[in-house]
Amino acid sequence: MKEILNVDQLAISFGNNEVLKCINFKLHENEVLGVIGPNGAGKTVMLNILTGILKPTKGTITFLGEDITKDTIPERCRKGIGRTFQVPRPFEKMTVYENILTGCVYGSRISEKEARHKALDILEKIKLSDRTKDFAGKLGLLDRKRLEVGRALATDPKVLLLDEVGGGLTESEVEEVLDLVRMVKSQGVSVVWIEHIIKTMLEGTDRVLLLANGCDIVCGCPQDVMNSKEVTDIYIGCEC
Amino acid sequence: MKLKLLSKGTYGKPLCFLVIMALLVTLPYWSGEYVVSIMMLILLYMAMGQMWNLMAGYAGLLSLGMQAFIGIGGYSLAVFSTTYGLNIFVSILLGGIFSLIFAFFISPALFKMSGVYFAIGSWVVAESLLLWFSNWEFVRYAQGINITSAYQFDTVDLYYIALVVGVAAALVVYLLLRSKSGLALMAMRDNSSAAETLGIELYKTKLRCYLISSFMMGIIGGAMYLYQAYILPSAAFSIGWTVAVTFMVIIGGIGTMEGPIIGAVLYVLFNQYLYQFPGISMMILGVTAILIILVAPNGIMGTLHNKTGIEILSARRNVG
Ligand SMILES: Nc1ncnc2c1ncn2[C@@H]1O[C@H](COP(=O)(O)OP(=O)(O)OP(=O)(O)O)[C@@H](O)[C@H]1O
Ligand SMILES: [Mg+2]
Repeated sequence: MKEILNVDQLAISFGNNEVLKCINFKLHENEVLGVIGPNGAGKTVMLNILTGILKPTKGTITFLGEDITKDTIPERCRKGIGRTFQVPRPFEKMTVYENILTGCVYGSRISEKEARHKALDILEKIKLSDRTKDFAGKLGLLDRKRLEVGRALATDPKVLLLDEVGGGLTESEVEEVLDLVRMVKSQGVSVVWIEHIIKTMLEGTDRVLLLANGCDIVCGCPQDVMNSKEVTDIYIGCEC
Repeated sequence: MKLKLLSKGTYGKPLCFLVIMALLVTLPYWSGEYVVSIMMLILLYMAMGQMWNLMAGYAGLLSLGMQAFIGIGGYSLAVFSTTYGLNIFVSILLGGIFSLIFAFFISPALFKMSGVYFAIGSWVVAESLLLWFSNWEFVRYAQGINITSAYQFDTVDLYYIALVVGVAAALVVYLLLRSKSGLALMAMRDNSSAAETLGIELYKTKLRCYLISSFMMGIIGGAMYLYQAYILPSAAFSIGWTVAVTFMVIIGGIGTMEGPIIGAVLYVLFNQYLYQFPGISMMILGVTAILIILVAPNGIMGTLHNKTGIEILSARRNVG
């Protein structure tokens, strides 16, 4: 399978706090990679480095064979890296439709006229067609998460980075999120999916990466990783 | 019911604007000189408010130094039209161009700062201009310049100039918001970090706003000093301009197009009334601002919009 993203020896420190020591992983074409790890492991920090919000102290990020470690945030978006935020950040005083439209127009650089069709199409896919005219600030949590995914999808990403889209939702709502991720995958997009609700996530992922103590501890097919000694150690006491 | 007709009807809004424009254009024919001069001030302050709001309300650039451009605009008018005898309108236009050039050259330094630092930095720039002009022989130091060329205009002429400037300022903002950049501006206003991850270049977008605002502020400064007819560095580069504009926009509703309009009307009318209380007028103004903010934390228009969803000058995209 074709390799889309290659993260090599990524490290970052804040003062004396060495949050990430050495992260390595590869993401393949049309693959969903689940990322698990305890609170504060640095999962969000890793996404922030991948999207350019934080600068790594060491390491390189290769996207489609190109070193993008020094690219700015908008440049990475235009090259095809989309993301959602752990706490949704909708444009509250814009309508749901305008939120998506903004993603289309700026992320995939098409005119507003061309973008209209695409925006409506995405709204359909994320099941927000009936709320197009509502202000995004008025949406509930599940709809905010949907909008977050839709807005990222509007930028035509090749890789979508999801930061706990399932967090804070009820069990039935989490099922909706799983459908959402499957839909994204069916569009041919590769996904990095950070999630705490492991049970649901395992159903939608091809591989799982365990991140703890600043390192990528294990990575492999979901069953193997969940049965591994490392996961048991980290999740059931005995923090090594 | 009436409000619904206004906000939803296809013809309601354009008709409403036509009526308002007709009233504004014919104002000198059916009202007295006092009303005309008040309306002139409202239009000029509204124009300033639109520009300050474009920066603070949309681009997140909280400037305390817009008086720099009022001063440059005013002095361009004074120097080019009286000292060099250039056409008045050309002089005002030059004020806009000089403001734009000045803004362009200080922007790399100013844009390194953000938030409060940008506010203070822009203020320091304006204060430096004040000092420079006060010590510059060419502009007669701190004695100021008598803008004799402005004497040829009466109140009605000045009103029409203010009307053109005011409508132009509102139109510039409206068209900007309706254009592709408008989506970026509104996105930046609501959440700049999310906007950036969608591919929006924050620096470029902010710079564009800053340059547009500076140019327009220079023009407005020229129009304002056409009315004042005497320019002093201490008045032209006074922080008082920005204080007034900040008051207006925050009262009216920051980040909305209607905010500066409502704010300007209230500010100018209130100021006329406060002439009766010299000494404590600033205090009354301050207390009023605090009271309004307590009742309507997002300004009058912002709070109204949150409660009812009403927008008069909307840049909304319709679905489909
Ligand atoms: N900008 C920053 N400056 C300093 N420290 C930071 C910064 N961002 C994150 N950290 C620290 O990095 C550590 C990892 O945080 P991060 O948010 O990545 O954890 P996480 O794995 O996403 O956790 P959670 O599952 O709770 O979301 C935390 O200890 C946090 O305090
Ligand atoms: Mg996190």
